[in-house]
Amino acid sequence: MNDTFTQISNAVYEGRAKDMPGLTNGALAAGLTPQEILDRGLTQGMQLIGKDFKEGKRFIPELLLAARAMQASLNILRPLFVQTGVKMAGKVVIGTVKGDLHDIGKTLVGMMLEGAGFEVIDLGKDVAPEQFVEAVKHEKPNIVALSALLTTTMQSMGRTIELLKEAGLREQVRVMIGGAPVTSDFACQINADAYGSSAPDAVEIAKKFARVS
Amino acid sequence: MPVVAIACRVLESLMEPYLRDAAIPVTCKEYGLHRTPTLMAAALQQEIDRLAEPSVVILGYGLCGNGLVGLKARQHTLIVPRADDCIMLLLGSYERYVEEFSAEPGTYYLTKGWLASGSHPLREYEELVEKYGQESADWIINEQYRNYRRLVLVASSQAELIACRAQALEVARFCAVRWGFRYEEHIGSTDFVERLVAEAHQLRKSTDDFLLIPPGGEIKQEMFWRKLGEGKQQAPNPDARVSNRN
Repeated sequence: MNDTFTQISNAVYEGRAKDMPGLTNGALAAGLTPQEILDRGLTQGMQLIGKDFKEGKRFIPELLLAARAMQASLNILRPLFVQTGVKMAGKVVIGTVKGDLHDIGKTLVGMMLEGAGFEVIDLGKDVAPEQFVEAVKHEKPNIVALSALLTTTMQSMGRTIELLKEAGLREQVRVMIGGAPVTSDFACQINADAYGSSAPDAVEIAKKFARVS
Repeated sequence: MPVVAIACRVLESLMEPYLRDAAIPVTCKEYGLHRTPTLMAAALQQEIDRLAEPSVVILGYGLCGNGLVGLKARQHTLIVPRADDCIMLLLGSYERYVEEFSAEPGTYYLTKGWLASGSHPLREYEELVEKYGQESADWIINEQYRNYRRLVLVASSQAELIACRAQALEVARFCAVRWGFRYEEHIGSTDFVERLVAEAHQLRKSTDDFLLIPPGGEIKQEMFWRKLGEGKQQAPNPDARVSNRN
């Protein structure tokens, strides 16, 4: 059984998306639960590559390929989560803010959060503050994650948080932000709860939030 | 106080005539340092630390993916364009930059330097194929560039435009086939660079367009922050920011 988890973890780490359906279905056929496959296979693989990325041993393309491999497995597992009553770590609404089309970092964070057991609602790019508010109303997430890659668009993060406050929703969610020009100072300034300096960092923050909420 | 310049090679041809007229010596660093931002600050720090006497140092760089963050002035005074990257410098003003951005946020720029250093989708794709194989490379490059709509070659002169055209068109064809990018050519303006050189030695504090890092200071991300559509008069003073969080 341990071998199966290692195989899945390795396949994620190495970004072998094509191998994932076979490995996942094999694990299910062998009687492993979707929860076990997620926790001990997929999450494990993502954690390992996240750690190596932070240490500069792996790069963005490799992180992306690992996330894609993980998704290939999650596509099979996701419908089973509902049936088997898997307990998700939390729910995240994520998006790149208005005026900004850079979505690769945001997508990566979203995929890594899924790999860490979160339910992720990805609103995409160029997302207006109003759209975030609507999503929080309907999806009732624990966490809202905002991304901006330009000094010209990062202010939209602040507007999004203000609008959440005006809608009376700010206290219901933790807001985390990230992107190249963003800092923890800026997070304080706009009343965000946290700043993530990298995709693995964002996952760590989300886990902390999930534990306390 | 002596005035010197350290600039990216991308801006060399644009800055050189003005620096020469002002008798300001310039050191040009290689293209593409922004691809490894942590190395960029280290490389520039080395240049700054090499200066024997207290100087005014004009930096021909923008924030460049945080490549300038952490750079220390030491005993010198640094003058830095308040720009995300060299595109604003090539276009000539923040207003023009915002105008272009508003017209099409999904714009990918090509410059002489970026073409020379391989900072463009075609070269990146070739590198990805080499490293990860075609199937993975196709997927990665698509993730990276699918949101862009327009490819713009910005050159500092007609001659530079013509010299870069063949290579730019090669990139344009690649992007048009994959993502339907349209291709445009723009001649930039020397306005910003002209002012950078002319105003550098008389600046006493940061302005809308230039940051002044006094001796002992350090470059920080927040110094570059602006609001979209920010007017000349409403520039936030980064030093006066107040945290409203307990």
